[in-house]
Amino acid sequence: MTLFSAVFGRMGQAVVLLFVMSLIGFVGIHAVGNPVFNIVNVETATVEDIQRATIALGLDQPIWRQYLVFAEDLLSGNFGISYVYHLPAFSLVMEKLPATLELAVVAMLLAATLGVLIGLVAGRQPGTRLDRTILRASVFALSIPSFWLSMMLILGGAILAGRFPSGGRGATARLFGSDWSVLTVDGLRHLVLPALALAIPNIALIARLTRAGTIEVEGLDFIRFCRAKGLSPHRILLRHTLPNISVPIVTIIGLQFGGMLAFAVVVETIFAWPGIGKLLIDSIQLLDRPVVMATLTFVSVAFVTLNALVDLFQAVLDPRVRLPRKG
Amino acid sequence: MQKSSHLKTIRLIALLGGIASAAFFTSPVAAQELRVATSYKLMTLDPQFADLNENTSLLSHIYERLVYQDERLNPVPGLALSWKRLSDTQWQFKLRENVRFHDRSPFTADDVVYSLERVRSVLKPPSGSFQSYTQSIKAVRATDPLTVLIETTASAPALPLALSSIFIMPHPSSGFRSTEELNSAAVPPIGTGPYKFASWQSGERLKLTRNDDYWGGKPAWSEVDFRVMESPAARVAALTTGEVDLADSLPARDVATLKQRGVTVVSASAARSNFLQFDVDRDPLPGVTDKAGKPIPNPFKDKRVREALSVATDRPLLSDKILLGYGTAAAQLFPNGLPGTSAKLVATPPDYEKAKALLAEAGLSDGFNVVLAGPAGRYPGDAESLQAIAQNWARIGVRAQPVVAPFSVFATKRSAGEYPLWYGGCSGDSVSLCLDTVLASPNAERKTGANNYGRYRNPAFDDLLMKAQAIEEGPERNAALAAATEFVLADYPIVPLYHFHLIAGYGKHVSAYSVHPRGWTTAMQAVPTGE
Repeated sequence: MTLFSAVFGRMGQAVVLLFVMSLIGFVGIHAVGNPVFNIVNVETATVEDIQRATIALGLDQPIWRQYLVFAEDLLSGNFGISYVYHLPAFSLVMEKLPATLELAVVAMLLAATLGVLIGLVAGRQPGTRLDRTILRASVFALSIPSFWLSMMLILGGAILAGRFPSGGRGATARLFGSDWSVLTVDGLRHLVLPALALAIPNIALIARLTRAGTIEVEGLDFIRFCRAKGLSPHRILLRHTLPNISVPIVTIIGLQFGGMLAFAVVVETIFAWPGIGKLLIDSIQLLDRPVVMATLTFVSVAFVTLNALVDLFQAVLDPRVRLPRKG
Repeated sequence: MQKSSHLKTIRLIALLGGIASAAFFTSPVAAQELRVATSYKLMTLDPQFADLNENTSLLSHIYERLVYQDERLNPVPGLALSWKRLSDTQWQFKLRENVRFHDRSPFTADDVVYSLERVRSVLKPPSGSFQSYTQSIKAVRATDPLTVLIETTASAPALPLALSSIFIMPHPSSGFRSTEELNSAAVPPIGTGPYKFASWQSGERLKLTRNDDYWGGKPAWSEVDFRVMESPAARVAALTTGEVDLADSLPARDVATLKQRGVTVVSASAARSNFLQFDVDRDPLPGVTDKAGKPIPNPFKDKRVREALSVATDRPLLSDKILLGYGTAAAQLFPNGLPGTSAKLVATPPDYEKAKALLAEAGLSDGFNVVLAGPAGRYPGDAESLQAIAQNWARIGVRAQPVVAPFSVFATKRSAGEYPLWYGGCSGDSVSLCLDTVLASPNAERKTGANNYGRYRNPAFDDLLMKAQAIEEGPERNAALAAATEFVLADYPIVPLYHFHLIAGYGKHVSAYSVHPRGWTTAMQAVPTGE
């Protein structure tokens, strides 16, 4: 019963969210300017050319009617044709998904493993020199802006050391009908710097969270009991402490992962990584409304799904969430 | 025993790791592969979809035109060997023999008819932007497999030049190809060009291979790999690290660093100009007030005011300091020396005393306030120029307030009539086109004045321009166009600012690269090292 209503509540929220998002996106793009000026060559087009293109795209209609047309198309699963690429907008987004997905997954794997490890190490010995160093470094890593971090990675990794390429996706290999960079050596080389740029702030975030959780849990009675029972510190850490601090960590990983999928704009732009974030910002600049709407919808759905997954995971990890008791 | 197997495993891992890292850190470059970082984002594989350099620059490897424009903008034979005017309204084009499309089918007059018909009557907006080049055409006929006869509605002396914008596609057995078909993988792009299509990821990458059967001889590069990098910093970084052999549209401020790192930098003045344009029509004019903030009658209706502002603009400062020398101070629409330009029109240093006197003559010795609008980041030096100009004009008492916005916002507001004075630009295949769109009176029938947002009207100039455009391509036409330009610019309808330079850089795999004033980036312009 509770599960059922929870699922329904979630879906209802998602629908409202999508509606509000589409309205804001639609009106926002409309307010910025007229996309026609990005589609025709303004320096040579005649007034008639501009007029004809405006009518062909339906931009001569009042905004509310344009929205109705958009909503109607949407209900039949059609986001419209990109003004700029003249391809179906949604398939354009899906085409960019593998690039974003592999970048986000690699970055998150890196961030989660390193972050948890560093956090555990620091949390085990609070106040020591190592702990203080980790704390300071994490503050630093969290506060540097990602564009600067990306530029420094390019400077260090590509220009000075010459080890890694400065941008692009490199060679790709086909799997499941999509192109993946992780499957080729050249693609992996291209992946290293942008993945690091995305991972470094998250390593710091997760490490801090893990450290705080570890310190808190290690002081609790059951850990002391474990120690009294003579369990090895290793076993205590991995079998008892880690599960007890994992709920907030999983939550933050889920949220940050959603953010990476949608808004890795800065990193994707600087590294010329052709992902969804870059598509979104390019389309906003060109006022390519169908693509912007398709991207925003995809991002919202991804966020809602990720949140649901995080909740589910919490239920698995934490019996208190799994078994809601009355009174 | 167990220990030794452990050791073996470790050794094996170390060995594999070594191999992997060796492969990891060296990227072998195929013998004659050209890797290009371009700012041009190829948007569609339909060569007749949109008249934007973004598309035409890259697609010109695959498709060719009847007429090609050389680096002096003169029409030279492309797929057409020669052309002549049979009568006032008839043009005959003789086609090149033994040309084959990439699928080995021969190129004939039918393909020309198909391509022109597709532009003329099949493509519908928003994909119809090439129609302006075919608007004078009444009928296209193939009189024999290598001859095309084009009838025009009126005299069209510049038709060959107009056709230098249209790509020739092979005709399918029936009907016309749609843009969707061409964009999908179903129909690979097939042309007659020096490079064949290999693969494409929209907005990311275009890969080409050499067309060994090219009619013009074997192309220089075995493979060409275009990578779209819109961010100038990304292009600079890729060129610096040697990931690409060639990059276009480089920012002037990075040139010194690139040279230090062994990159060769070449540049040429673009066939275009950027200028300030006045609204000379409306009264009262929004954005113009006296010093106290009270509305005043449109000051730009007075030629003396326009002249004063032009005289008080420090063009050498713009080209030397803002564009860091990668720009030429402008006094007309195309850089001096290109066909149709006047040798008499040269930029002069500012003369503030003269400007003040002119303003006083016009009864505006106290100056006035004006909004000076422009796009930001669309053209090199756009927003910075407005700041500099505002400072120039402050010296004659005109308080200009620069207002910059992203291009689409700026363009929307400009066509809505929100600005009194703005920064504009014009480019194209010939100076005649810019005279038509920027300075000729708005006229729907003649399709002139599309870029004349200030509604400047000068019937005497319209007359001169029409007469010049009736003359066939050649020195006589160019002289008439130059004279028309001199005549109209003496009335100061615009303030020409500069012709910015197109800057390209290349690494050690390229021995020479010629920058085309139309702003194209192609592998044909690059010469490989060691040939």
